[in-house]
Amino acid sequence: MTMLKELAVELVGMFAGEKRLTLAVLALVAAAGCLLDFTTLNELIAGAVLPFGCVLLLIENVCRSARARAS
Amino acid sequence: MTWSIAAPAVTAAFLASLVEVVEAFTIVLAVATLRGWRPAALGTTAGLAVLAGIVLLLGPLLNRVPISALQLVIGVLLLLFGMGWLRKASLRAAGVIPLHDEEAVFAAETATLSERAHNRRRSLDWAAGITALKAVLLEGLEVVFIVIAVGAGRGLLVPASLGALAACGLVLAAGVMLHRPLSRVPENLLKFGVGVMLSAFGVFWTGEGLGIAWPGEDLALLFFAALFLAAGLIGSSLARKLSMEFAS
Repeated sequence: MTMLKELAVELVGMFAGEKRLTLAVLALVAAAGCLLDFTTLNELIAGAVLPFGCVLLLIENVCRSARARAS
Repeated sequence: MTWSIAAPAVTAAFLASLVEVVEAFTIVLAVATLRGWRPAALGTTAGLAVLAGIVLLLGPLLNRVPISALQLVIGVLLLLFGMGWLRKASLRAAGVIPLHDEEAVFAAETATLSERAHNRRRSLDWAAGITALKAVLLEGLEVVFIVIAVGAGRGLLVPASLGALAACGLVLAAGVMLHRPLSRVPENLLKFGVGVMLSAFGVFWTGEGLGIAWPGEDLALLFFAALFLAAGLIGSSLARKLSMEFAS
């Protein structure tokens, strides 16, 4: 039972180790999906939200973590 | 199969597996050093058998999922997994969090098993076997996910699996020769590189799952990888500056 629990914790940790980043990425994917499905925006412009958004989220999260650990 | 997508898939599977197998090997070696190779080998075999069972059980189900849904789900999971690795690797490179130390993990596992040996000597072989099984199973699950994630979207499961198997073979061969934890593997550099590749695959599959036709098709992967590499380096450099500012 303990091992199953550890396995579950490890599996969740694989994808949601940093909750803020996980939620932000999921929100970004949802936003990109909405832009593609519900607006008349060019597919590539809506698609660009995904890579550039992820990159900004990553940099912001790394800086936030560094600030939090230093203070 | 195009090389522009097969090569990153095989490389990502190989490098990610290298990191995970080194971590599992460290713990199995600690078990073997303290209790002999029998419980270590039994635990490892049992772990590999459970992993094989999971793959055999879930593998055929992948064919039944529509490709766009599969790409979207795997893409999002890869994004979360890859960006998590890249985030940690950036913070480690900046010196904000300590580097993963295989010697320290080896010492900690040995100490835990020694303590158990002191408390309940009889069941120690069982406990040592379970420790090896857990290590193989937990790290192996990550390898299985990575192989499926980088391989399933374009029918590259076999090349990705071969990449992972090559990593296992390499670590085992090095381990058998050295008989000590593989602490000289540049783990953070590997994690940084794998984080970049997995994040690039994640954006690629997620976009395809959402119905985006990326310009340049597979070549877009290289652009995404360059973008994430730059982001990781910029993040790491900013994090270093921030922690130095706070320290002074």
